[in-house]
Amino acid sequence: MRATYRVLCGLTMLLVLVQSAAIAFGTFGILDFVSGGDDYTKSIAEDRSADAGGLGQNIHSFGAMAIALVAIILLVVSFFARIDGGVKWAGIVFLTVVLQWVFAIVAFSAPVVGILHGINAFFIFGTAMTAMQHAKAVEAEAPATAPA
Amino acid sequence: MSKERLRLLLASVATLVVVLPIGYLWQQSLMPSTYSVMDMGYVDYGGGPRRSGDDGHDGHDGHDMHDRAGATSVADLTERSDRAADVTVDLVARQGTVTVAGREIDGYSLNGRTPGPTIEVTQGRLLEVRLHNRDVEEGITLHWHGVDVPNAEDGVAGVTQDAVQRGEEHVYRFVARDAGTYWYHSHQVSHEQVRGGLFGTLVVQPRRAPAGVVDVPAVMHTYDSLTTVNGTRTDHVTARPGQRVRVRVVNTDNGPFQAWASAPYRVLAVDGTDVHGPTPVEDEAVTVTAGGRVDLSLTVPADGLRVQLGSAAAVVVGREGAEVPEPDAPGAEVDLLSYGAPAPLGFDPADADRSFRYAVGRRPGFVKGRPGLFWTVNGHLFPDVPMFVVREGDVVRMTISNSSGDVHPMHLHGHHAVVVSRDGRRATGSPWWFDSLDVEDGETYEVAFVADNPGVWMDHCHNLEHARDGLVAHLMYDGVRTPYRVGGAPGNEPE
Repeated sequence: MRATYRVLCGLTMLLVLVQSAAIAFGTFGILDFVSGGDDYTKSIAEDRSADAGGLGQNIHSFGAMAIALVAIILLVVSFFARIDGGVKWAGIVFLTVVLQWVFAIVAFSAPVVGILHGINAFFIFGTAMTAMQHAKAVEAEAPATAPA
Repeated sequence: MSKERLRLLLASVATLVVVLPIGYLWQQSLMPSTYSVMDMGYVDYGGGPRRSGDDGHDGHDGHDMHDRAGATSVADLTERSDRAADVTVDLVARQGTVTVAGREIDGYSLNGRTPGPTIEVTQGRLLEVRLHNRDVEEGITLHWHGVDVPNAEDGVAGVTQDAVQRGEEHVYRFVARDAGTYWYHSHQVSHEQVRGGLFGTLVVQPRRAPAGVVDVPAVMHTYDSLTTVNGTRTDHVTARPGQRVRVRVVNTDNGPFQAWASAPYRVLAVDGTDVHGPTPVEDEAVTVTAGGRVDLSLTVPADGLRVQLGSAAAVVVGREGAEVPEPDAPGAEVDLLSYGAPAPLGFDPADADRSFRYAVGRRPGFVKGRPGLFWTVNGHLFPDVPMFVVREGDVVRMTISNSSGDVHPMHLHGHHAVVVSRDGRRATGSPWWFDSLDVEDGETYEVAFVADNPGVWMDHCHNLEHARDGLVAHLMYDGVRTPYRVGGAPGNEPE
């Protein structure tokens, strides 16, 4: 369970990287599209066309759900993992992910909140890393004993 | 109980606390393989009389609505006139590669082209359209967007008919009662079929059309990120200087765009209804709602004119070979709330029999088993959406608000409604009749209409991706039922 906990923390960190890369890919795709003289319209935004950064945006949308799923699984695994402080850190990761969704939803109406969405990505990464290191430290201090 | 067991028990309980609500929400979002839209969500009477024979409570009582004895079937709500058709059109739908503006795309065609042929009919004539599905796998239908047809002709798979399968045909028959600009499109798997090109324009000419006016349909559509008008990037139409033109702008896309021109123009009609007392417009753009139409009247200057449709598509009108540079995009736009002169509505919105609320929001959850960020109607996710119930002759008010962070082009089938107010500001211009209304984030519209066309009608967002994601409700008349079902053997999938 501890190993699973650590893997899930690592997966969360990896997904944050994927999310950052995907949204940058999507944004540059839009810039490249409009630089050709085309209009980036609401319809094109909805179509998520690969010509106009749609692939990056689709990955970002999918990744948002993947991170939420991993955060939930991490929380559940923490209940069984017998890591001191493991539930607390998994809970913190979960809360930062919830916050990330809230920032995204609010940012559709108030784009300035997108700043918080960007900054909070670092918190998700950081808390997942802390949770992983915490699990490692606990393991080093009290290695699991083999069953008798 | 040992400490270890207690710990395991607590861990299991905590897991259930986390997982069970999520599983419940997922399970609740699943749809059966076939269902009637009359079973969906909850009934909303809008404060008006409830259905005869009911115990009179709002709630999940839709399940018995289609079994009611004596109810009129949607299938029987056909064109009243049984005379022979004045205009007959055959449309053959195919699926495959189509060429648009020199680019090959995977899509659909009608009579070998997309957009499909423009159908022209004179007001009062009976139009008969025979739709043949040559090889479209999912089946097709045709919805007459903006035309207040009898309900059986509305072309919504699973609500007013079954999808027309490969090799089959279906006949639509209705009198074109109101002159104006309309369009037709498939309402089966519409988010894919409309995007892929299964649509065309319908123009109903008035009985006495003004002489010498050049009629220019301008159908905007985006194919695979390629913005087009009439299937090309810039359409050229020949007209003499001094001649009047009527540019019928049709937005078949999922989002709004702005139209402006190199010459002064008047907004003659919105969504097929004439504007009363239209005034000349200069240095202003007009927004064309997704699914909506705007007719512009212009006089051709000596060196021609250009109607710009967004910055990527345009119609140039003038002598053959005329080149007109792109006019600068205006900073201001025509506000239809105050454009034109007031005129009688023919009914009193203040004396409404029913008042409904259609509040669009957004939240995470599950729709049809899929997780994501979805639209809500009055706080609920699909399929827990309202069934607005009216009686024939009711004056109906509806408050449409949007706090979802996105624009929604709301489209009520089978009726034209009039805007009463926006964000508390009353409409002061020409009556703003619409069938497709852009409700932007943070806006609230009060609209009103007379329930004068019995049936079961969709009332949905015409951003068809949003409709697929559950931004759909229905308006039904007391005493009407639909025998058609979503899903099932015909694979009906209206959105």
